[in-house]
Amino acid sequence: MHPRERLSYSPIEGRAPLKLPKGVRMVIWPVLALEEWDMSRPMARMVISPPQGRPQQPDHPNWTWHEYGMRVGFWRLRRMYETLGIAPTVTLNARVCETYPAVVKACMDLGWELNAHGYDQVPMHKTEDQRGVIMRSMDIIEKFSGKRPRGWFGPGLTQTFDTLDHLSEAGIEYIGDWVLDDEPVTLKTTHKPVVALPYNFEIHDIVMMALQHQMSDAMHIRARDQFDCLYAESAERPKIMAIACHPYLSGVPHRFGHVQRTFTELLARDGVVAWDGARILDWYKTQA
Amino acid sequence: MHYAKPPVGMLPNDRIAYSPIVNRKPLKLPNKARMVVWTVTNVEEWDPTQTMPRTVLTPPAGGSPMPDIPNWCWHEYGNRVGFWRLLQVYDDFKIPGVMNVNGVAVEAFPEMMKACVQRKWEFVGHGYTQRNMQKVENERADIRKSAEVLERVTGKRPRGWLGPGLTETWETADILAEEGYDYVADWVIDDQPVWLKTRARPILNIPYTQECNDVAMMLIQHHKANEFYERAMDQFEQIYKDAKALDSARVMAISVHPYIMGAPHRAKYFRMIFEKLRKKKDVLFWNGSQIADWFMKTGPKA
Repeated sequence: MHPRERLSYSPIEGRAPLKLPKGVRMVIWPVLALEEWDMSRPMARMVISPPQGRPQQPDHPNWTWHEYGMRVGFWRLRRMYETLGIAPTVTLNARVCETYPAVVKACMDLGWELNAHGYDQVPMHKTEDQRGVIMRSMDIIEKFSGKRPRGWFGPGLTQTFDTLDHLSEAGIEYIGDWVLDDEPVTLKTTHKPVVALPYNFEIHDIVMMALQHQMSDAMHIRARDQFDCLYAESAERPKIMAIACHPYLSGVPHRFGHVQRTFTELLARDGVVAWDGARILDWYKTQA
Repeated sequence: MHYAKPPVGMLPNDRIAYSPIVNRKPLKLPNKARMVVWTVTNVEEWDPTQTMPRTVLTPPAGGSPMPDIPNWCWHEYGNRVGFWRLLQVYDDFKIPGVMNVNGVAVEAFPEMMKACVQRKWEFVGHGYTQRNMQKVENERADIRKSAEVLERVTGKRPRGWLGPGLTETWETADILAEEGYDYVADWVIDDQPVWLKTRARPILNIPYTQECNDVAMMLIQHHKANEFYERAMDQFEQIYKDAKALDSARVMAISVHPYIMGAPHRAKYFRMIFEKLRKKKDVLFWNGSQIADWFMKTGPKA
């Protein structure tokens, strides 16, 4: 379906405001993404471009750059979230359960929500059997953790015109792939509707650091500006602000302090809470 | 230097002769104003069955996905949410609005158009769809259809045109003049309005900007959000200084797109520009139509 068949245009001005529980005016949605980069394929992102521009295979520099995230960066971030009492949505390639079981177990030990992010880091357009991959991802995570994921993020947020129909068929209740609003919206599918929670590419470390080459403090500066705008608006209607971190980016030493400051400062503000995707979804379902 | 003439239309050098700004007869604005600022909001509809005009997030390991849901939604956020933030700034500082809008966007976002019509914003032609004018099958039909759509929603034909990505063919200026447009803004060639020859009557070009433009700054150059404010201040200071030194008016443009400056972390830097500039007594805030009328009356003839 064309996206407009799934969701009509609606200006935010004029919508009846949703209602958060008493004392809450804004929700921070922390998302931590864990990926598996298969060395037999081109690397998903590169920090160092190949000499003469010709991609190398195997790509040791960029594969090890990502691997740092799983060996070291993740543990920094985990400690930060734990200290701040934050339970992020952990969106993971299902293959991470096979390759990095200790990492997934560490998330489960703290009761964090696991969200399906494909099998490995391959876009949906390059996936021949989408239904198969979706089911397989959910099965692997369910088998490892004992809980079937309720939410999905496509690798690279990619979708084809019918991905949502396959997701709904597989029992997914919410996605983060549609960054088109500050509020949750309900998308039509050929099965049950699926909720799109407000994710974004603004406070997102791949966009900022890997693509836009911003300085290390950009997470903090940009998150503060984003927050100030939304917080002021939250006097009139609830706002949800996602913050997306990848261990190989936000978990590196020169960035980590700025990330930590960001969460510390934002969550110290009145009426601001950190919820995971399942919790935001359940709240949204109480709104008529 | 002689360049081969194109098969249709004209070389840009044949439309406008070189002229140093410092040698021109001084331009005068009413009430001893030094310069004019015009503030353009660009609204587009991106067809999800085509390649996205811009992207913020490339897919892992590259490629051109179809559809490109992440980037389509990132742009659509501007129409649903971002635009209303920018509108608030126009309202708060009483800036005459200039809505540079694709024909298809007029149909897709009626509430947005209504809000602008109610506020008497000027509407400018911006292609029927968001596509390079060189890739449009029938340019004249596109230009004509844009005017019709805008006339339907505003009650008047648009006087100005600002093409998607400022793209033109060899004969865009000719067609615009023939189709009844009074001014174009694709030629970021000067700090003053200038006349362009066409095969019919001359058409005016009003200075637009690739410098104080959020697409260039944020999407291509990847600057921090506050660069939009800082650069506008630097640009303003210099243009004002130039205008004062020669006692000759200048025109400065500011260009925004709801999906860029309307993002929560950027909106305040758009607002800050007007907090600083709106109070200045010798700076006029006009729309394109007002600039065109002033220049046609008091500036050099074509």
